Amino acid sequence: MNRVNMATVASNYNPREIDNTADVPGRRAQLVTGNQTYSSITDMVCRVAEDPQPLLWYVLFGFSSLTAVMFLSLIGYLILNGVGIWGNMNPVFWAWPIVNFVFWVGIAHAGTLISAILFLFRQNWRTSINRASEAMTIFAVVCAGIYPGIHVGRAWLAFWLLPYPSLNLWMWPQFRSPLLWDVFAVGTYASTSLVFWYMGMIPDIATYRDRSKSPLRRMVYGLLCLGWTGSSRHWLVYEKAYTLLAALAAPLVLSVHTVVSFDFAVSQVAGWHTTIFPPYFVAGAIFSGFAMVVTLLVPSRAIYKLENLITLRHLENMNKIILATGTLVGLAYATEAYIAWYSMNQYEGFTFLNRQFGPYWWAYWTMVSCNVISPQLFWFKKLRTSLFWMVVICVFVNIGMWFERFVITVTSLSRDFLPSSWGYFRPTMYDGLMLFGSFGIFMSLYLLFCRFLPIIAMSEVKGILSIENHAAHAHDDSHGQSH
Amino acid sequence: MSEHKPRKSNETKMPKAFGWMAEYADEQNLLVAARKVRDSGYTQTDAFTPFPVHGIDEALGIKPTILPFIVLCAGFTGLITALLMQWWTNGVDYKYLISAKPFGITPASIPVAFELTILFSAFTAFFGMIFLNQLPRFSNPVFTNPRFDRVTDDRFFLYVNAADKYYNRESVKELLSGTHPDSLDEVLDDNTPSTLPRPIVLGALLLVLTGLIPAMIVLNMRASFSTQPRWHVFFDMDFQPKKKAQQTTTVFADGRSMRPQVKGTVSRGQLTEQDPYYLGYDPSKLSADDASTVVKYVSTNASQDSASQAPASAAVQATPAQSPPPQGATAPAPALKLPWVDKLPESIVEASNIEANMKLGKVKFETYCAACHGYGGFGDGLVHKRADSLAQGYWLPPTSMHIERVRTQPVGQIFHTITKGQGKMASYASSLNPKERWAIVLYVKALQRSRNANIEDVPVDSRSALENEPNVESTK
Repeated sequence: MNRVNMATVASNYNPREIDNTADVPGRRAQLVTGNQTYSSITDMVCRVAEDPQPLLWYVLFGFSSLTAVMFLSLIGYLILNGVGIWGNMNPVFWAWPIVNFVFWVGIAHAGTLISAILFLFRQNWRTSINRASEAMTIFAVVCAGIYPGIHVGRAWLAFWLLPYPSLNLWMWPQFRSPLLWDVFAVGTYASTSLVFWYMGMIPDIATYRDRSKSPLRRMVYGLLCLGWTGSSRHWLVYEKAYTLLAALAAPLVLSVHTVVSFDFAVSQVAGWHTTIFPPYFVAGAIFSGFAMVVTLLVPSRAIYKLENLITLRHLENMNKIILATGTLVGLAYATEAYIAWYSMNQYEGFTFLNRQFGPYWWAYWTMVSCNVISPQLFWFKKLRTSLFWMVVICVFVNIGMWFERFVITVTSLSRDFLPSSWGYFRPTMYDGLMLFGSFGIFMSLYLLFCRFLPIIAMSEVKGILSIENHAAHAHDDSHGQSH
Repeated sequence: MSEHKPRKSNETKMPKAFGWMAEYADEQNLLVAARKVRDSGYTQTDAFTPFPVHGIDEALGIKPTILPFIVLCAGFTGLITALLMQWWTNGVDYKYLISAKPFGITPASIPVAFELTILFSAFTAFFGMIFLNQLPRFSNPVFTNPRFDRVTDDRFFLYVNAADKYYNRESVKELLSGTHPDSLDEVLDDNTPSTLPRPIVLGALLLVLTGLIPAMIVLNMRASFSTQPRWHVFFDMDFQPKKKAQQTTTVFADGRSMRPQVKGTVSRGQLTEQDPYYLGYDPSKLSADDASTVVKYVSTNASQDSASQAPASAAVQATPAQSPPPQGATAPAPALKLPWVDKLPESIVEASNIEANMKLGKVKFETYCAACHGYGGFGDGLVHKRADSLAQGYWLPPTSMHIERVRTQPVGQIFHTITKGQGKMASYASSLNPKERWAIVLYVKALQRSRNANIEDVPVDSRSALENEPNVESTK
């Protein structure tokens, strides 16, 4: 079937942006545009890694790898000199490193959410974006994991976080501490996401292998895909494993930021000790993660000409989720403030007034304008389907989400129960450079991922296309197969 | 991979055929063909597709996988592991007392239990998939057909394996031809060598051996002795840029890292070493001659250590408590010649306090002193009586407060005796604060006065009552 289409589309690629965001009642909108066939999808995706990278890739990679090198050097400098190079000082000892940790862990939530939860809800549009966002998840977890590792002070002893009886004391970790739960939650999330991501890539790496011209590429991709043949017997087990992983990752993704929020909520610091934290953190994490996915995918699809796979409709759907989660986050802010008043707890009340009108008022209002007000612009279809505006708003969202963690961490610590110990946190140059540097690690990994690995789940897109074609086929002439 | 080796050696000329492979352009044709093959009774069949084709399991007759049950077991294993780990590590092996919370499995165990359940299940789902699919398998006869490269792109293949018990080369070919495949090829054995190229093997070996070097160095260092100092990769806080006591320095002219006291200052705790209130003598009146320096040293530091010499001198001084204090006994020269305080401190004797201090002194005396010295201060306390009745030859009776030597002692010396101890008597500085010690001195002075009083000491209006009392102890 579609032999004619296959030939024409594969050769005559139409880079014009197709607006598929209009909803026609009674008809499902197409998930991929431009009359794609299986081979045209393969072509489009494999070209990303097979064609020479555009000059822009080299410019970006040069810049981000230099930034990453700077970050790693700063880590070395930190290990030599100690955490005193940061601005962490009494009473704010959980300063930027923890803010950055929570920020990156939050961003890491979108990938698995798209892969797992949207998979379980049969949201087929996820297939075009899940691979890139899963990769983003892994890279964000890498960035996140660095911070607690170096924040412990003696980074070479970070393995003390693991449950093993320490060499001299035969002492185990304290399992009632939320910080240890965090080790398990983030560790499980990182490894499960990695497995999920890698397993999803196996069939697509096999495609890369089969298209490779050079024996070296063929061998490396062949090793990576474990000799995948596309056997139906394998597919059956594979799909079952994928479904199981999705079912396991869905509660996992919700648990990770819940546990991260426990780091705060289980303590007794005013402004932290609230039961709303787990859902509030999870909503915020999805919010920031989707914003990061949109920020990365808009340029990626333009550079690699993937507009027919990652269509405007995909981006619009993500923007709708950003709107929903952004509103949830705004509701959480309002609830927190309301409870601070309603509970009649003077410390909570003070903390919230202090956040809004205290010395960090600028951080609080930056957070509110970026997180609550800016996503509301996505109510307008013009804005949520405009590439420029969605990137602008998503960048604002990520700025706002960083400030949210800053507000939570720093304002509560800087003014706690004992006014004599109040202080004002001042970051140092190293704080700033190490936040910036983590983006270098993140971007370098993402660019390498685009360069060497399939950035779109080809086999999944083809599977969805097959179901769609089959449904359309069965509609048009009723000689559909009986099964 | 290895199972093909004997076959290969048997047929060196003609590659071994593994079955027939038919190619289709779309999944619908594949499904039709697969059903046909299944209905013909073949079970050793497989389809190769770029994506999981809906309905292929039914069309080929593939049974469902047992993977979910394996994952379920792994999930339970993870859950139980997590709970046992938390119970054993924090409740049994190394108990953590946290806010009096119970040991073992508590609600605080839930997060880790949840995460390990997911971790075990997820890894089992992945590795179970790898295991059940018998991956990785890098050498596979299906790859011999160059057309097969498109199986991961847009082509669909149906495969009937020669291992099928109904397999017949010609009839299978005929059957598959009837399904209108785009191509139909026989799957031949992979002729490429099954061993890894020698450079890769050597390179890998070299890499492994190089990787072992650091471990070998560490093992060697752990097993051998060295006269060199320990090699510090990380200094932790072992080496700090600071001076310790008794070290030299170039910072100060005298070369000492310990600094003498700055003139006119009082260091922490120094007040108790310089104020007569805490000492019982006035250190500022100490003469600078050698003898008194030695005395000072002995009095402040070694009063208890000098116990070995004390019994001898004390035995001479001591008088049996039961016998009345020997009148006019020549007291030996006091062991200590210090500028004793001869007046009770002002805060003890001022009119508003003296009543309370006397009571305090009585209470403290009866608590701490009376056990040995007796309530009357005659050295006839319960401890003494008991020791005496046991007739231990070496028991040294407590001193009576009423012998001449003690009666003539300045108050400062009595205070000093309480503070530092004397002979067998231990120091009471840790039990009684200075005020209480002074209060005891006050009380002791009152005791001495009362036990050695004559009628002149009694107020005039009370004398007659006293003289009429028959049992009153006659005084000298």
